[in-house]
Amino acid sequence: MSELITLDNLKPGQRATVRRVKGEGPIRRRLMDMGIVNGIEIEMLKTAPLGDPIEYQLRGYHLSLRKAEARLIEIELTPESGTNR
Amino acid sequence: MLTIGLAGNPNAGKSTLFNALTGARQHVGNWPGKTVEKKEGRLHLSGHEIILVDLPGTYSLTAYSVEEIIARDFIVESRPQAVLCVLDAANLERNLYLVIQIMEMQVPVIVALNMSDVAESRGIEINTARLSETLGGIPVIRTIGSRDIGLDALRSAIGEISRRPTGADRTLRIDLGQTLEVEIAQLQKWIESDPTFSDYPPHWIAIKLLENDPELIKKASGNPSLLRLVAESSQRLMEKTGEEPDTLIADARYAFIGALVKQTVKRPAQKMVTFSDKLDRILTHRLWGLPIFLGLMWMVFQLTANVSAPFLDFVDMLITGPITRWFSALITALGLHRTWVEALVLQGIIPGVGGVLVFVPVLLSLYLVIALLEDTGYMARAAFVMDRLMSRLGLHGKSFLPLLVGFGCTVPAIYATRTLENERDRKITGFLATFMSCGARLPVYVLFGSAFFGAAGGSLIFAMYLTGIAVAILTSLLFTKIIFRGKPVPPFVMELPPYRAPNARIVLRSMWERTASFVRKAGTVIFAVSIVVWLLLATPAQAGIGGFNTVAPSESLFGTASRLVAPLFAPAGFGQWQASGALITGVLAKEVIVSTMSQVYVGEAEIEVPTPTPLIDDLKQIASSLWKAVVLTGQEVVNIIPRTVNIIPGVSMPEANILGTTTQEEPPTALQAVLNKTFSPLSAAAFCVFILLYVPCMAAGAAMRHEFGWKWMLAQAGYALGVAWLAAVLVFQVGRLIGWGG
Repeated sequence: MSELITLDNLKPGQRATVRRVKGEGPIRRRLMDMGIVNGIEIEMLKTAPLGDPIEYQLRGYHLSLRKAEARLIEIELTPESGTNR
Repeated sequence: MLTIGLAGNPNAGKSTLFNALTGARQHVGNWPGKTVEKKEGRLHLSGHEIILVDLPGTYSLTAYSVEEIIARDFIVESRPQAVLCVLDAANLERNLYLVIQIMEMQVPVIVALNMSDVAESRGIEINTARLSETLGGIPVIRTIGSRDIGLDALRSAIGEISRRPTGADRTLRIDLGQTLEVEIAQLQKWIESDPTFSDYPPHWIAIKLLENDPELIKKASGNPSLLRLVAESSQRLMEKTGEEPDTLIADARYAFIGALVKQTVKRPAQKMVTFSDKLDRILTHRLWGLPIFLGLMWMVFQLTANVSAPFLDFVDMLITGPITRWFSALITALGLHRTWVEALVLQGIIPGVGGVLVFVPVLLSLYLVIALLEDTGYMARAAFVMDRLMSRLGLHGKSFLPLLVGFGCTVPAIYATRTLENERDRKITGFLATFMSCGARLPVYVLFGSAFFGAAGGSLIFAMYLTGIAVAILTSLLFTKIIFRGKPVPPFVMELPPYRAPNARIVLRSMWERTASFVRKAGTVIFAVSIVVWLLLATPAQAGIGGFNTVAPSESLFGTASRLVAPLFAPAGFGQWQASGALITGVLAKEVIVSTMSQVYVGEAEIEVPTPTPLIDDLKQIASSLWKAVVLTGQEVVNIIPRTVNIIPGVSMPEANILGTTTQEEPPTALQAVLNKTFSPLSAAAFCVFILLYVPCMAAGAAMRHEFGWKWMLAQAGYALGVAWLAAVLVFQVGRLIGWGG
C-alpha cells in the first residue's frame, strides 16, 4: 500500500482513492454529502486561474474545492495515473 | 387540499419541471423569516387541486444550512402527501443520496429521472423498472422538463399517490447495515416513548441523533437518558469501527446507492469528452479564464446599469407626464382642485408609486442576467475563477457579482445575493453592497465636484468610489475577523454543473415572478415612506404660519426635523438645516438630494399645476416615448461594444447615437453659487462622504428587509449611519488640522 497523502497534492489528470475525510462536523459532513466517502475514486482536473480552488471529477460530476478543504481528504494514489497528461 | 413537495439537487432541472407542471398558477415569495425563495404552484388533476411546493435545492438534509433545514422541516412538519424528487439522470449517484434521505423520513416518494435525454446522449442507460423495484416499488418516471416530456406520466403518478389514504405508504426502509441498525433499533424504542418526538418518524430521529444533528439534539435536550443512550451508541460504534457514526451512515447510504446503480445503470466504458468539457477548457482556462470573466462581468454591469436606463426614463415620463395630468384633470373635474386631496394624490401617491415602478426595468434586466448566468452554468465558473480573491475578504467567489451590480444600483445588488448558497455569505454581501457607490449618488458628487473643485471634480468622484470600496473591505474584515471569529468559514464545496442552453420560458418567468415579488413586498414600504416624507413637507410646524401644503419647507415639520438633527453634523462642517433636510429626503432616493437642495437653498420652486393636454397628445407622447425607449435600449446594447473597446487606452471608437440625444445634464448653476457661500471645499467633501456611506435609499432598505428581515436592515442602517458620521467628521477635522481650511 502506498503512503497516504491529501487530495490537494494531486496533479491534473492524477487519480486517487479516498481513504479518510477529516475536519470539523459541518465541513466533513458536506464533503461526505457530495459523495466523498471512503473508497471512492477522484480525478483532479485543473486549478482555477488564480491557483485556488481546484476542480475535481468524481461519481460522474465536477466538483470544486478550496485547497484548505482538499487538505482534509486523505487519499491513496491510484497507480499509473500520474502521467496521463 | 393536498400538498406535494418538490425536492432535488441544485442543477437537476427542478425549476423547469415545476414550471412545466404548474404553468402560470404559481406564487413566489420567501420562506417565513428566511432569505430563501419559496415557490408554490397549483396543479389540477382530474377534478381536485394539488399544491406543489418547490423546496430549496439541496444535496442533503443536514441542519448545517438554512435550505436543508427548510426542506426537512417542511417534510416533517407540513406532512406532504408525497415528495416528488427530481433527479439529474446523468448524475444519478449523488442525486440518489438525497432521495435516500427523504425516504428515511417515511414519506411517499415519486422519482422523476429528469434530463434523461442528456444521460442518453452520454451513453448512460438506466433500467427504470429495476430502479423502481429496488427502491421498494416507488414510481420512477423518465422526464425531459425542457420539452414537456413525461409530464402526463408524472401527473398520473401524483394523482395515484394522492388518492391513497395517508399513512398507507409503501416506503422502503433502507438497510444501513447490521452494525448501525442494531444501535438504531435500540434508540428507536426510547424515541417512540418520548412525547417530543411523537409526530416524527422514530427511525429517522434515531439516525439524526447518531449523526449528531444539532437541531434534533437540541430538541431532545429534555430527555437526558435518551441523549446518554445516543452517546453510548456512538461510543460503541467508534470502538467497533474506528469511525464516527456520521461517517458510517454516509458510507452506508453511498454503499446502498453504489449497489443500486451497479444493478440499474450501464455506463459507456470509455469516458466521453462532452461539448461542456471543451467549453469549460476555454472559459476557466489558466490564462483566458480571468479576462473572459472580467469581460462578461463588464457586460453584466452595462446591462444592469445602462441598458435599462431608457425604459427607466420612459416609466418616469409616463408617471410625471400623462398619468399626473390625467389624475389632475380627474381631481379638477371632481371639484377638488387646490385641496389637500389634490396634493396628496399628485405629490404623495403618484410619485410614491413612481418610486416603486422605476425599479422595474432595472430588476427585469438584472434577473435576466442572473437567470442566464445561472441556467447556463457559468455562475459557478465565475465563482471558481474569482474565489481566490474574494476568499481573502472572507467572502465567496459568487459575492463578486452582487458587489459589482451595486455600482449601478443597490436594489438589484441585494437581490443578486440570492445566487449565493450560504445565508451568512448572502447577508454579508448584501450588507457590503450598500457601500458600493450607486448611480444615484453620482449627481451629488458631480454637483459638489464642479462647484468646489472645478477641473479636479473628477478626482472627488473617483475618491468617493474608492472610499466606498475601502469601507466595504474594512467592514468585511470586521465581520470575518471579529464578529464571526471562530465560526467556521462556509465551505466552498461547489458543483460545477455541465453547461446548458438556457430555457427562454424559465428565464422569462423568473424575471417576471421575482420582479413582481419586489413590487408586492418592497413596494409597499417604499410607498409608505414616500407618503410620510410628503406629509412632513406639507404640514406646518405651528399654526398660523401657512396652511396645509402651502407652507414653505423651512416652516414645515420637515424643516423642524431638519433643524433638530442639523447640530449633529456641525463637527463634519455641514450643520445647516438645509443640508440635513437634503439628507432626509435623500433617504427616499439619493438622486432627490440635488433637487431638495435646489428647493431649500435657492428658493421655493412653485409647484407646477399640470396644464391639461388633449388625450390624443398624451397618447402620442406615450407612443413616441415608448418607441424612443425601444430604440435607445437597442442602442445601449450595441454601445456595449464601443464602450468595451474604449477601455483600451488610446483607442476611441464612436458610440451610436441614433436620436442625437445628450445624456449629461448640466448641474444647476444657481445652486452652485449658493453652495459656494455655505460650504467650503472641505465640508463639501465631508458631505459627499456622508452621502456615499449613510443609509442606502429606502428602496434598498425595503429590499434588505424583503431579503434579510427587519433586524438585518436596521443593523445595516445603524452601522452605515455611524460609519458615515465618523468618516465625514474625520475628513472635516483631519482636513482642518492639516490646514485645508474649514
